[in-house]
Amino acid sequence: MLSLGPLAFAAPWALGAITFLPALWWLLKVTPPGPRTVRFPAVRLLFGLEAREDAAARTPWWVLALRLALALAVILAVAHPLVHPRPLAGAGGPLAVAVDDGWASARDWDARKAFLDDLLARAERAGRPVLLITTAPPADGTPLAGSGLVPATRARALAQALEPKPWAVDRAAAAELVAALPRERAMEAVWLADGLDGGDGEAFARALQSLGGGLEIVGGRPARVMLPPDPASPADRLLVSVRRLGSLDDPERLAVRALDGAGKVLGREEATMAPGQDTAAVALRLPTELRNRLERLDIEGERAAASTVLLDDRWQRRPVGLAGGGDPAAAPLLGQLYYVDKALAPHAELHRGTVTELLERPLAVLVLADVPAVTGATDDRLEAWVRNGGVLVRFAGPALAQAAGAAPGGAPDPLLPVRPRAGGRNLGGAMSWTSPQGLAPFPDTSPFAGLPVPDDVTVATQVLAEPTIELNERTWARLADGTPLVTGARLGEGWTVLVHTTANADWSSLAMSGLFPDLLRRLVALADGIAAPGTGDGPLAPVELLDGLGRLTAPSGAATALSDPAHAVPGPRTPPGLYGEGARRLAFNLGSRVGAPGGLGVPSGAVASRLGERTREIDLRPALLAAAAALAVADLLASLALRGLMSRRGAAAAVMALAVMGGTGKARAAEADVFAMDAALSTRLAYVRTGDPAVDADSRAGLAALSRVLAERSTAVLAEPMAVDVETDPVLFFPLLYWPVTPAQKPPSAGAAEKLNDYMRRGGLIVFDAADAEAALPAMTAGLAMPPLAPVDEDHVLTRSFYLLKDLPGRYAADAVWVAAGVAGGGNDGVSPVVVGAADWAGAWAADERGRPLHAVVPGGERQREMAYRFGVNLIMYALTGNYKSDQVHLPAIMERLGR
Amino acid sequence: MTEAGARREGRAQQLAARLPPLLVAAERVAATVAGGVHGRRRAGPGESFWQYRPTQPGDPLSAVDWRQSARSDRLFARETEWSAAQTVWLWRDPSPSMEWRSSRELPTKRDRAELLALALGALLLRGGERVALLSGALGPTAGGGALARLAVAMDGEPVPSGPLPPALGLPRHAEAVMLSDLLAPLRDVDAAVRALAATGAVGHLVQVLDPAEESLPFQGRIRFAGLEGEGETVVRRTEDLRSAYAARLAAHRDGLAAIARSVGWTFAVHHTDQPPQAALLALHGRLATPRPGGGGGRC
Repeated sequence: MLSLGPLAFAAPWALGAITFLPALWWLLKVTPPGPRTVRFPAVRLLFGLEAREDAAARTPWWVLALRLALALAVILAVAHPLVHPRPLAGAGGPLAVAVDDGWASARDWDARKAFLDDLLARAERAGRPVLLITTAPPADGTPLAGSGLVPATRARALAQALEPKPWAVDRAAAAELVAALPRERAMEAVWLADGLDGGDGEAFARALQSLGGGLEIVGGRPARVMLPPDPASPADRLLVSVRRLGSLDDPERLAVRALDGAGKVLGREEATMAPGQDTAAVALRLPTELRNRLERLDIEGERAAASTVLLDDRWQRRPVGLAGGGDPAAAPLLGQLYYVDKALAPHAELHRGTVTELLERPLAVLVLADVPAVTGATDDRLEAWVRNGGVLVRFAGPALAQAAGAAPGGAPDPLLPVRPRAGGRNLGGAMSWTSPQGLAPFPDTSPFAGLPVPDDVTVATQVLAEPTIELNERTWARLADGTPLVTGARLGEGWTVLVHTTANADWSSLAMSGLFPDLLRRLVALADGIAAPGTGDGPLAPVELLDGLGRLTAPSGAATALSDPAHAVPGPRTPPGLYGEGARRLAFNLGSRVGAPGGLGVPSGAVASRLGERTREIDLRPALLAAAAALAVADLLASLALRGLMSRRGAAAAVMALAVMGGTGKARAAEADVFAMDAALSTRLAYVRTGDPAVDADSRAGLAALSRVLAERSTAVLAEPMAVDVETDPVLFFPLLYWPVTPAQKPPSAGAAEKLNDYMRRGGLIVFDAADAEAALPAMTAGLAMPPLAPVDEDHVLTRSFYLLKDLPGRYAADAVWVAAGVAGGGNDGVSPVVVGAADWAGAWAADERGRPLHAVVPGGERQREMAYRFGVNLIMYALTGNYKSDQVHLPAIMERLGR
Repeated sequence: MTEAGARREGRAQQLAARLPPLLVAAERVAATVAGGVHGRRRAGPGESFWQYRPTQPGDPLSAVDWRQSARSDRLFARETEWSAAQTVWLWRDPSPSMEWRSSRELPTKRDRAELLALALGALLLRGGERVALLSGALGPTAGGGALARLAVAMDGEPVPSGPLPPALGLPRHAEAVMLSDLLAPLRDVDAAVRALAATGAVGHLVQVLDPAEESLPFQGRIRFAGLEGEGETVVRRTEDLRSAYAARLAAHRDGLAAIARSVGWTFAVHHTDQPPQAALLALHGRLATPRPGGGGGRC
């Protein structure tokens, strides 16, 4: 390899061919391209006309340059130039490449892969065999195995197919693998490490060093792990923490996304990891409805299993059972559970039934409305359920009050937080002097703390509690007089809650207040979901598994059922993912099982480097070969052209195509700009270019003369008129567009028609003059949104806007002029968007530079021409000022009134 | 007939439709007269009435028109209009040098020459004249299918060894129209013309040239090769040769004109980029008017 600063040649011997270039130059110079042959009948007349010898013909200089450049490009390509070459340290011998493909490498896997490809490409060039070792156990459950010594090309293909695994690396096994390698030749080792040490890192490094060719350890970016949020975190937010395994000098920004099952982002929160820190806490605030839909949390822009958290039922649905006493056939508004149902339906999964039925299924919360103490086996099951983490919410009612009264001295019901006193307490009844009580603010220790207390909630009847020592701390809500309204107590893992009034409107207006849903939601949030999903019988079959890049895939490989979720370790047999069907669905997350591996130390004698520290090697050979091919094509074309074998039209087309690609777009844009500036910077009339030179000249002369007349007779000064091509030019700058219709004109295209419609809709005025081609007018206007037309009557503003006119002649004293019918009250100030006539007005207006008319008017007389000018002035005034002169119509009546 | 031939005939018909039927000014009537369909605007053998004239001594009695004579005291003879047809011998050069054009937009010289020949034939046939091919491929013919026969026969014409066809089977004092590029050496042309003129034939030479042969519009280093095996020459800068070439061409043309003049023939030049009507009109005029000094005093 020959190095020249950042440039090097892999095959420098090829550069020797450059010395032949002068010879090539001389050769090309003395052998000009052959003359083109023309067959010519009158060749006899040419004989003997040129006596001089034809020897001085020359190859054109540019052909010389082209061919020399072509030869140079080929020579350089053969020499294989490289920018920023990275020669391998060890000159020869095999290369051992160890790759950590565990979860911790996933974060910058693309960069690792690029490095690997680069490394193996260099080995390929050097012709070194490669031994590729991956350290994570393969997905099919087989033990670790190296690739064996293979050619670098094959190793490159293997490396291309590598993917990070969603489990940890097994360096002990890898070290054994390396130790078992034959030691005939010294092997240079490169270890693309993930930077974590689970304990066997040093042993593996030493094993690699023992190969005898030196060791380079290449590290990447430290991995990040997202820990699953605590299922018991507050109802309104998910607390997620992200941990970085390894330190970075720069602060890192990260965004945690919350996604639903369809991949839709429901929440996103950003956090910054300061240089010294290695954790970041993120609170995702989500309404319960959205939170129930969450299935996945991940870090934006990072594809890794460790930074992905799958959520299962523990974080999601709260199944709530409802069981009520009373008459099930009661009218809905009087039903015991009607208000509970309404309040919880949007936020929880509700089940109804008897207590026995409800306990058959997993439940987070059980609401019992005025159900007295249950007895027997059901009672035991209920208590066991609560102790296991269930939340039992009971509402008082007549039945409960009666039951309490029936057993005043008996053992306390373990399913009630307090012991109710017999009978209820009636406030504000017909026989009572007290009035119904409102609510007191919630105590700070209560789960309801912070909820606003409405003024309009009154409680007329309640069940009172026997005063005990714990009563005060168990009271979560009280009435204004201090008596408890909601009491709650812990029972085992769960809660028992008693609401001292009914769940319907019988005893209080609480159930009808806006507070009620909030209270119930807080109570439901007490439950931490269905107690420990996956604890049921038998192992859980894998349903969807995470791959190393954080994608959910169908189970494959060696994945088996998960039998002990609490103690399972992610591996080929139990990769992270979703296990179990239906209610037993369990998210097995990598983040919670990662532990805290330490950083990887670099043993003495090994070289440590980081990914991306050195610039990548750039291979110039493909570019040079492409250039040589392009030059060869150019040379072929040039040779053909020189010999006259390429038709001139073909060459012109090729050159045109190149030129069009190059510059015309810009030129056209500049042209359009100039047109827009011209049109917009001063007010001017415009006419449509018909393609008939005579008609266009008339239009131009006519509008110019009219502009002059207008300037003489009014204060409106218009600039020179412009020609407009309706297909290409914008028309919106002009107050008036004069359109002489000729039979040869093509109707406007769809795009042009749309443009003109827009122009008319926004207050433009198009004057169609069909003097020569009345028959062509319908076809011409077919694509336009023409309003219904009516002849100009004598009261129309067009006859009043400047002069008072009776008829509107042009070159011909034509018949009616048509305008939009009945637009007086419409938009655009009542100005008709079109004026249609056949009088050849421009012909009448047209005058040469000395003001002499160009055409005779028919039937004739200067009066007709003057009237035509007056019509023109009226027309422009109409276009410029709209209908402000329309009151002229009423002038006679006004004058008459004034006179009177 | 080939399809191309049919198309050519159609175009020739179209072209001829714009001109009046051609009545060849009969010059050497005696030599080539044959019973024809059109009158000669003079008294003579024929069928249609021409004029009455007072009888003269020697008129046969059968010539007297008794009905007319009965109206007066004198005797009138009835004369009919002389009907006669002239034969025109056509020839267009079939040699390879005619099969050439300088650009795709132009017809080849041979196409143009054939078109002119056929259009002229169509005009003649419409006028009641007879046409024949100078090469001997078709004898004098007239009537409905004559033009088609002419076109077919023209396709199979042999290439003559000289610049013009030999005067085989040509009657004396015939009238011939020859369309060719006439680029052969003047000596050869002169010999061929004199051979034809020796039979007393009157000829009309039309030189059909491509505009490129006139202006030599090529540039740069070019190898020119002939189409009839004349050889080839390499020219280094063709644009330098343009004026010398033009002078040579003019000299050649002057020579052709002189040859034609010396035997009393006409000579004209036609370029393929010009409309064929112009050439046809000129030919029409030259054939329809008697030439002074051509011995046509009797016409």
